[in-house]
Amino acid sequence: MATTTTVVLPGDRIPASSLPKPAHKKKPLTLGPGLRHTPPETITSTIAGSLETDHKKNAAWIDFNSGRYLPAAGDLIIATVHTSAGEAFNCLLTPNTATATLPHLSFEGATRKTRPQLPPNSLVYTRVVNAGKHSAPELTCVDPSTGKSEGLGPLKGGMVFAVSLGMARRLLAGRKGGVAVLEVLGGKVGFEITVGRNGVLHVDGGSVKVTLAVGRAVQEVDELALGEKAQRKLAEKVLRSL
Amino acid sequence: MAPETELSNLHRADGSATYTHHGYSIIGAVNGPIEVPRRDELPEEATIEVNVRPAAGVGSPKDRQLETLVHNTLRSIILTRSIPRTLVQITLQIRSLPEEAASTGVNPSIAILPHLLHTSLLALLSASIPLSTILTSVLVAIPAAHTQPSTPLLSPTANDLVRAKSIKSVHVFAFSGDKKLLLNESDGVFSYEEWEEACEMAEEACCREKGGVGLAEGMDVDGQSRNLEEWLREVVKEKVAYEQRWKTAT
Repeated sequence: MATTTTVVLPGDRIPASSLPKPAHKKKPLTLGPGLRHTPPETITSTIAGSLETDHKKNAAWIDFNSGRYLPAAGDLIIATVHTSAGEAFNCLLTPNTATATLPHLSFEGATRKTRPQLPPNSLVYTRVVNAGKHSAPELTCVDPSTGKSEGLGPLKGGMVFAVSLGMARRLLAGRKGGVAVLEVLGGKVGFEITVGRNGVLHVDGGSVKVTLAVGRAVQEVDELALGEKAQRKLAEKVLRSL
Repeated sequence: MAPETELSNLHRADGSATYTHHGYSIIGAVNGPIEVPRRDELPEEATIEVNVRPAAGVGSPKDRQLETLVHNTLRSIILTRSIPRTLVQITLQIRSLPEEAASTGVNPSIAILPHLLHTSLLALLSASIPLSTILTSVLVAIPAAHTQPSTPLLSPTANDLVRAKSIKSVHVFAFSGDKKLLLNESDGVFSYEEWEEACEMAEEACCREKGGVGLAEGMDVDGQSRNLEEWLREVVKEKVAYEQRWKTAT
């Protein structure tokens, strides 16, 4: 690898030299997942992974790809409706965890009279509003400033595929994530994908064959950690089979 | 021989590890943070559940004792307050014991304790549960004075224990990453000086000295000796390299 990665173990103190150097003096340091600040200025890691920094944003975080999804405010996720209570849906983000609340009125155009009807096990693409550790995570399907859905809302048709959390992040990162397989496939067949940070990938290809082919291709890229060349090869193989 | 490990090998669990060392083979699985049953829920911290399953038969009080020891040790390194009202479930399945394990004359639950602790730590690392520090653990056996050698045996194999014939006392020490003693279990007759010698020996094997070389006996890998913390770093390095291999793949 061109740049050497700093591997950290829980409890390792992050020296000031490894932290990002802010471009502006006033910009506060942002600590991402896996880092803990002990006043006055000790920063330790809490999980095993590689230390990543962003000088422009003055941020540091630990990159890891294992374990269960922990909700964080602002994350886009695919939630599964569990039950519908009086004012809100109780949704599951990952199996066997406490439910998150999705108010009935946080859908685009929803009013007290026209609230959405979602049966249990239906999928919703939502954003995490707040994820305090002492309360149930709160979800929403509208942008609070515009009141528009911005692409969020119930997902219809298609099928979900489980991908690793790292793969979900890569898919959401766009070009930086280095997932070329979708572009190649998208050039020949039409499909729609939705990526949830909680490791859920929803694919709707119109037909079962296309949906499965696309979902399985992404899963294969994830499991075998295929590079760009191998991904193009895989995409061509998938296209031939369709 | 350093312990052999394989991380995240069970795909249904949130984190898992298989650990093989000196004939002991253990599979560890961690699920968490998950929903906790109401009666176990703690308002300010996470509940930790440890299950030790023996290689054969059903669990006995001995396994319950091991569960308690592992539970209390892990509770001091897991940042339970950062994931309140959740459950971290740790299952340790003992897969095989060394053939001589029954004939060493050493309390078997003490001999397996360091291996259980290492397995659970590796599984926790694999599950990315927030931890305040790491832990390393080692077994030290002190032979009776009339047998040779009379120096304490560090991390002895079951065979070593059988050959030493009479073991006066055995000690298990676990240290955190900042060299604090987390756990000590001792069995047998020993003086305070002997205990101190064993403790120093264990600390040297467990914790990394700045610039020094670990003197862990029987831990030679490719001619260079290393201690347990360095071994742990190596394991994590492999984990990170595995997770980031897509960055360099073609």
